[in-house]
Amino acid sequence: MKNAEEINSALEAYADMVRRICFVHLKNRDDTEDVFQTVFLKYMLYEDSFESSEHEKAWFARVTINACKDMLRYFSRRKWVPLDVIAEEGEALDDTMEGILEVVLNLPEKYRNVIYLYYYEGYSAAEIAGILGRKENTIYTWLARAKTLLREKLGGDWA
Amino acid sequence: MNLIWESMKNIQATEKLKQNTLQYLNEQQRRKYRVRTRFVPSYALAVFGLLCLIGTAGGFVYSKPVSYISIDVNPSIELSVNRFGRVVYSETYSDEGKGITGQIPLKNVSYMQAINRLLNDDKYMKYLGKDSILVFTVISDRSEQILENLKSSKLLEKYSALTYTSDLSCMEEAHRHEMSFGKYRTYLELLEYDGSVTIEDCHEMTMGELRDRIDACAHGVQADNEKEHHGSGHHGKGNGCDN
Repeated sequence: MKNAEEINSALEAYADMVRRICFVHLKNRDDTEDVFQTVFLKYMLYEDSFESSEHEKAWFARVTINACKDMLRYFSRRKWVPLDVIAEEGEALDDTMEGILEVVLNLPEKYRNVIYLYYYEGYSAAEIAGILGRKENTIYTWLARAKTLLREKLGGDWA
Repeated sequence: MNLIWESMKNIQATEKLKQNTLQYLNEQQRRKYRVRTRFVPSYALAVFGLLCLIGTAGGFVYSKPVSYISIDVNPSIELSVNRFGRVVYSETYSDEGKGITGQIPLKNVSYMQAINRLLNDDKYMKYLGKDSILVFTVISDRSEQILENLKSSKLLEKYSALTYTSDLSCMEEAHRHEMSFGKYRTYLELLEYDGSVTIEDCHEMTMGELRDRIDACAHGVQADNEKEHHGSGHHGKGNGCDN
């Protein structure tokens, strides 16, 4: 079991990433808090050590995406309205950013994941394949389709 | 930089979310421990349960400080840090200090974050002139780790901050004199060279002035010349008060 110092360091390093992945997937802040706590509980109970900080970061990304999927499966009948999720962020976002996020959040789930990991976290397709447990070619295909969808909605200057 | 990155950079974990998570993990740890002790003889369990109830009720673990960091320039500010490395109290003994702690949110963030907030604050930066000396004094079972974190900070390097350790008895004495333990440690260091200096004199002096007096006494040369020799990463054990 991880000690308090390790938990605190992990919280400082990965809290924002975990929060963003939750934002991309979940329906409201209560669900986010549930998943957020689940992820760090899994970290606290994780017995193995990480080879590097990159390994640890990828572990957090993978565990958070899986925890979000579990949460969505559990509440599969609840309707998800991206605008509500964005509205919960209040003044943190201006109109332009809200518009971009609305388009991103309306993408199918698998595209949301690759777009976030590729454009925000800066992972390569091969690394995303490792995190999501998919073939690299599949990630390239998803990225290409997601980019096409974003280009249709946002025009050519979004990346 | 791309628009996806731009649009998401402000989506961040709030301090409240982090705090709630730390408390949740604490509860889970305690629950796990309770399950493990299911087979302990019942009387021992009852005593243990009672101690747990008394010792860990509410946010006791979270709010209990285990380390202390005194940040002294003039004014002095003390941070009390819990086992998670988060600031649970900030204390100051001057009106100037109260003006700063009242303005900068230092609680419930990591001690490095609190120090960064302090050193980046415009009002506090006014005290960090070229003649001033910034001193960090640490009391902790994990002082080596805390000092290492402090020394790796670019901001501390920028201000050529000095770092020391001290102990709880020194802190108690310092607080009896309404002084931070960092400044009190420096007073004790000066006292070793100059027996005529009083705690009242020390109250009126900045850390830079105290340091100048110590250097002048120690090396017998003008304090101004001595300042050039102060570098970051200076590190010593507290004077006096050691048990």
